[in-house]
Amino acid sequence: MNFIIYLIFSILSVVNASGNTLVLLDNQVIRETHSIFFKLLQDAGYQLTFKIADDSTLHLSKYGEYLYDNLIIFAPSVEEFGGSLNVDAITQFIDEGGNVFVAGSSATGDILRELASECGFEVDEEGAFVIDHLNYDVSDNGQHTKIVVPSEFLIDAPIIVGERKAIAPLLYRGTGILADPENPLVLPILTADSTAYSYIPEQQIKEYPHAVGKNTVLIAGLQARNNARIVFSGSLDFFSDDYFTSSVQKGEQGDKVPVSGNQKVALSIADWVFKQRGQLRVRSVKHHKQGEKVPPQAYTIMDQIVYSIEVDILESGEWKPFNTNDIQLEFVRIDPFIRTTLTRKVPGKYEAIFKIPDVYGVYQLNVDYDRVGYTRLYSSTQVSVRPLQHTQYERFIPSAYPYYISAFSMMFGVFLFSFVFLHYKDEPTTKTKGD
Amino acid sequence: MLKINSKTGLSSLIIFTVLLLAWVAGFSSRLFAVIRFESIIHEFDPWFNYRATAYMVENGFYKFLNWFDERAWYPLGRIVGGTVYPGLMITSGSIHYILHLLNIDVHIRDICVFLAPIFSGLTAISTYLLTKELWSAGAGLFAACFIAIVPGYISRSVAGSYDNEGIAIFALQFTYYLWVKSVKTGSIFWSCMTALSYFYMVSAWGGYVFIINLIPLHVFVLLLMGRYSNRLFTSYTTFYILGLLFSMQIPFVGFQPIRTSEHMAASGVFALIIAVAILKYFQSVLSKAEFKSLFVVGASVSAAVVFLAVVVLTYAGYIAPWSGRFYSLWDTGYAKIHIPIIASVSEHQPTTWFSFFFDLHVLITTFPAGLWYCIKNINDERVFVVLYALSAVYFAGVMVRLMLTLTPVVCMLSGIAFSVLLDLFLREEDTPRSSESDGDDEQTVSSNRRLYDKAGRVPKMKHEQVKESDGIGANLRSIIIVVMLLLLMLFAVHCTWVTSNAYSSPSIVLASYGNDGSRQILDDFREAYYWLSQNTADDARVMSWWDYGYQIAGMANRTTLVDNNTWNNSHIALVGKAMSSNESAAYEIMTSLGVDYVLVIFGGVIGYSGDDINKFLWMVRIAEGEHPKDIREGDYFTEHGEFRVDAEGSPTLLNCLMYKLSYYRFGEVRLDYRNPGGFDRTRNAVIGNKDFTLTYLEEAYTTEHWLVRIYRVKKPHEFNRPRIPFSNRIVKTQSFISKKNSKRRKGTLKNKPVVMKGKKLATKQL
Repeated sequence: MNFIIYLIFSILSVVNASGNTLVLLDNQVIRETHSIFFKLLQDAGYQLTFKIADDSTLHLSKYGEYLYDNLIIFAPSVEEFGGSLNVDAITQFIDEGGNVFVAGSSATGDILRELASECGFEVDEEGAFVIDHLNYDVSDNGQHTKIVVPSEFLIDAPIIVGERKAIAPLLYRGTGILADPENPLVLPILTADSTAYSYIPEQQIKEYPHAVGKNTVLIAGLQARNNARIVFSGSLDFFSDDYFTSSVQKGEQGDKVPVSGNQKVALSIADWVFKQRGQLRVRSVKHHKQGEKVPPQAYTIMDQIVYSIEVDILESGEWKPFNTNDIQLEFVRIDPFIRTTLTRKVPGKYEAIFKIPDVYGVYQLNVDYDRVGYTRLYSSTQVSVRPLQHTQYERFIPSAYPYYISAFSMMFGVFLFSFVFLHYKDEPTTKTKGD
Repeated sequence: MLKINSKTGLSSLIIFTVLLLAWVAGFSSRLFAVIRFESIIHEFDPWFNYRATAYMVENGFYKFLNWFDERAWYPLGRIVGGTVYPGLMITSGSIHYILHLLNIDVHIRDICVFLAPIFSGLTAISTYLLTKELWSAGAGLFAACFIAIVPGYISRSVAGSYDNEGIAIFALQFTYYLWVKSVKTGSIFWSCMTALSYFYMVSAWGGYVFIINLIPLHVFVLLLMGRYSNRLFTSYTTFYILGLLFSMQIPFVGFQPIRTSEHMAASGVFALIIAVAILKYFQSVLSKAEFKSLFVVGASVSAAVVFLAVVVLTYAGYIAPWSGRFYSLWDTGYAKIHIPIIASVSEHQPTTWFSFFFDLHVLITTFPAGLWYCIKNINDERVFVVLYALSAVYFAGVMVRLMLTLTPVVCMLSGIAFSVLLDLFLREEDTPRSSESDGDDEQTVSSNRRLYDKAGRVPKMKHEQVKESDGIGANLRSIIIVVMLLLLMLFAVHCTWVTSNAYSSPSIVLASYGNDGSRQILDDFREAYYWLSQNTADDARVMSWWDYGYQIAGMANRTTLVDNNTWNNSHIALVGKAMSSNESAAYEIMTSLGVDYVLVIFGGVIGYSGDDINKFLWMVRIAEGEHPKDIREGDYFTEHGEFRVDAEGSPTLLNCLMYKLSYYRFGEVRLDYRNPGGFDRTRNAVIGNKDFTLTYLEEAYTTEHWLVRIYRVKKPHEFNRPRIPFSNRIVKTQSFISKKNSKRRKGTLKNKPVVMKGKKLATKQL
């Protein structure tokens, strides 16, 4: 069941791979200031539809069908979306599998804050910037809000951000994000250094800042349980032409890097959030008894069972075999009875052979592969394991031979005795004579 | 000779007619349920029996024997063939087979529905035979008529009540008849027949343990009374060996007869009777003094050896100690403390005085008289019936359910009492010289009815006649006879009334009567089960309290977690824990068990008292037995120790899953104008927790009268985003007021570029 649902999801996303994207902007100027980013997206095959965020004709869906697969909100200052768009519509869009990419700024309005909270993180209050008095760019205006973030503060997941080591330091100017630390689904894609904090730069610090040090998330991601992806960046400038092309120099005496890593990271994140990366699917699941081809109606206890699963990954629009070595299989009846690592036979095909334990019941063959950046790969197959049939027990047990012998000898003895009893008539007379 | 033959013929015609009428009367008085409702399987257990029978008829016996039911006790599964007494299924299956061989096309359901009424006739006949062996044919006819209509037996054998007891009482009576016969004759043939009949009983009902303890008890008491005979030796040894081997052929019984304490009495008596036989033999060989010393030494040594063997084997684990159900027979409080699951079943409660009268009416008063007659004129087989009566009375007092084993013996002894009375008071109407006594045992043929008691009239024992004909005048006789007939008539009326009112409800279809006497059928159960079967996935797993497991499997054909075969206490406790925890804790249990739907029975709308809230404390107790750290019974009571669902109820109760599922959106309902919304008619209280929402479940279906409510358990992916609730947010947002209206659909931006006439486009900087 789950597997089928999963397959449907996967197929849907194949169809939509380079789908329509709605871009909401504060104003048309952003289209110019972020032209490189949009150009890169268009080159990658996305069809971008630009709209101003308060446009009264905004629709995500028409007649129950979504017009877009992805939504980019580059409109930090929006207070209310136009048309039929609001927070509920967007969360529903997410719940039905849509991907959302939001960039805020220090002017982020309440409506985006509401949207962020719906996804499990919070945007710091209006006017707040991430400030780092040690790691600011040389071109900073004195408030130390244009900060330099080394690439090791990116999340350790090449599938989302690419290889960290090959990325130049990043430039960031914007508000901080607070991620719920107890939330397992939220990914801090980029965090600030331990010297950073998030506060309104003009004001004197009276109360403890909402986000301090490494807890200040700069770009937060979320992969929802239906594999919809959301990325929330506290900085719109991060994606601007200016930051893409400018050089980075930490402080006055830091090393000067000719071009920031922003462009690379931005593109990686966009590819991830729009599900061009790290999307897995189960192509097929097979299980059968060793030496047979088709699965039986029910397995018998202590059978040897062969389980194989084919896993695909979406790479540049095509499903290709996925190769790894850490997929595990669980054989579960309330608790796992067997947990084993699947071995790769041919690329993308994994197999396990094991012996069913001596316990009957209804089991699930579960593969649950959940890795950061990848969609959750979950396949559950129910099989029933029955006890031995009355014909399957051993017929003659060695330890019972004494009993067999005694039974048969007894029967034989009675048989003989009956002959003696019936035909040995004369003796009593002789005996009485004798007496 | 010819004359006598015709008399014999007449008397057998009467016996035949009376038995036939008893059969017909017994059969038809069990049809109330079918006539009022329809030909339907009743209650809970019968649904499983029916499902198993249908499976056997469809797939054959061997498939049935090996049937692994993956839809029950998910995810453990149940080996049906090895955990069931197959006698019932085989009986109706073979009837079905024979009828189909004769091209009589009957649906298996109809056979199942009518099996118990048909077997009640067989029970009547075997009761007649047994009583005839014990006393006389007349007493037998009385007993047969009584057992045919007595409510104590009808309660388990109305049409549609397709349960083991329906055929087991027949097997019980027939086994006893054959046993008495074999003790009387001492023939191997009869004891083999006893063993065969015992085999049928073992295959039909767990109550066979009653036989395998009562017969050894009988033998033991006979030995104590010094009534040892070779007849007894032959019949008991044959019966024991064959019966033991036969009973071990039933997979569910298996090795129990040699490994559990319940069966040890039989083997002990077996050893004892052999020892006695050996002693008797020595007695014939040795001198008296020699024998005396041998007897003392031999008896004490063998007793010590047997006792030690049992103790050692029990400690070594070869013999299982008494099972809990048996302990609860000796100590009525045992189950309540140690095994709540047994105590939770209503039919395991101690019997009230009221139900003795309700189920047996006048028989309960006449049966001691019959018992007294038996004790007064004691012989080997009357010892048996005395023991039967005493033990059955005790057990019936302990458990309502065992009223069933008391009923036949009460009928038999009352039959004897009535027969003796009639004998006494009708005699005079024969020729004044009629005097053949009946009080004497075996060979007596005479009996109550005027017409055939002449058959065996062979004058003898003249001395008896003298004292009888004195003292009782004709008027007194007729008055007593009229009174007796009146009693019997009242008994028949009572039986019919009880059957019609108390024991003929299928309990899956309820009926209520309006003020004008019109009848309303509440068919909520079937409505819900049909909904389940039509609207849920074929492999959907339904969690409910175990009472409804068989019905869900039988009618909706869906996987259940627990059912009425309460073999796994910890699994039931897990379900009880889920029901008595709060929603999020319950959700964890439910996801680990893979539950798709939850079904609860709620009687608050129509005032149905057998609903889940009223059973709820048992769920808590059973859950507490296995999870004492998480569930405590005390949490569900108020400070004053009350169990109440209104606003004063304990918060744990008001927030547990069962409460929420029962009362979800019930607060919005006003049933009538006198009471506020959320008034629970079963418990006569306004519920205490009205406005709540369900997070992890959603209502899937509620039947017409709210009797059955089904909820769907949400899947993890439905809790898609980890939303931060408003109260937990660090950065609070202001409440948002939309500026949009139906005409103006434009949104708002903070730093909207403004077009100023006569000026260049300008954007405000941040």
